Amino acid sequence: MTQTLDVHERISQPGRSHTISEPASTAAAVPVAASKFGTFAFTFAIAFAILYTLLEQMNWPLFTYHPAVGKIDFWMQRPRSGEGPPMYWYGWLALSFAGAGVIGWIATLVPHRWLQRTTVFCCALAIVWSVAFIIAVAMDDRTRFDRDVVTWLAWVSAIPSFLAAAVVSYFIPLHWAQRMWTSWLLIMPIGGLAILGYSLKQYFLR
Amino acid sequence: MDALLDMLQGRTFWRILLFLHFVMAVGLLAAVSLQTAAVLMPVRQAAQAAGNFITRVRTAPPAWYVAAIVILYVPTFLLGAWVYIKYRTYVRIPMEQNSHWWTVGAFEFKEHIVSMGMALLPAYWFVWQEPLSEQYASMRKWLTLFLAVSVWYAFLVGHTANDFRGVGS
Repeated sequence: MTQTLDVHERISQPGRSHTISEPASTAAAVPVAASKFGTFAFTFAIAFAILYTLLEQMNWPLFTYHPAVGKIDFWMQRPRSGEGPPMYWYGWLALSFAGAGVIGWIATLVPHRWLQRTTVFCCALAIVWSVAFIIAVAMDDRTRFDRDVVTWLAWVSAIPSFLAAAVVSYFIPLHWAQRMWTSWLLIMPIGGLAILGYSLKQYFLR
Repeated sequence: MDALLDMLQGRTFWRILLFLHFVMAVGLLAAVSLQTAAVLMPVRQAAQAAGNFITRVRTAPPAWYVAAIVILYVPTFLLGAWVYIKYRTYVRIPMEQNSHWWTVGAFEFKEHIVSMGMALLPAYWFVWQEPLSEQYASMRKWLTLFLAVSVWYAFLVGHTANDFRGVGS
């Protein structure tokens, strides 16, 4: 009976790295898996970096604050005459923190194998999509004056990026995904800051 | 009472907030710098007894600073977010009118780097939990360094913006 339960537990939790049958080296490769808070904290930081960069680049705040008149509008509102400059940063932060919090909480519920593969997929998508978009914009001269073309290129470059990320996350060996999981914690914020910094070049090149 | 309320609603109120933000930022800067020094340049225990102030800083257990950094980072960030309202309406507009584009751009980047630092705080706190795990040794170092860079950058850029139009400018 004990053996039956033990086998059943191993089968029902295939993603748990700390099951009794796992070798010690595998358990050491995924130390965060031992703690739900660790899983939440790492996933939260990775998800925040991706969400914040995306929301800032697309200008999708949860709300727009008009400090001169003390008014808050839902989603993104352009500046209106007589209402002063709008502020979007609070809206990006609110949506990023809330979204990353939910993703972090979900991460504590799913098996770690899924979590690590999903993390590889999301991070690969973020990187490949950014690179594909930059290349597409650089190759098309119309992007200098036509903002609609830029938006169109952003969505078109998403299709091959999505496929590439799916292929990478499917074929990457699990032990690589496990080893890389903690590294995303630094790669994504630094990568996000590189994109955000580059988008500010208009201020430094005037 | 009315005079007090008027003062608190006016320019003085924002100056007090900015000053509090500055004081907390100085404390945070000290804590994160000392921890970074202890992490990047640890010294052997044997050198501790005969060491000077710098050596003692380097031999202090870096985990001592973790609580101080987390406790200071959050309210400094929140106060900065509050003062940011005044920056947007009272400081940035004249900055743009006077073509201080580098300062504007650098301040925009400050928003981003402190936000990333804020999101890394739970992971930072987690990897510094006692007993310190050898498996996180590298991550502890890099996270501490990231926070140190973000705090130093934010402090210097914030100070530049304050010099343009702030307390004592």
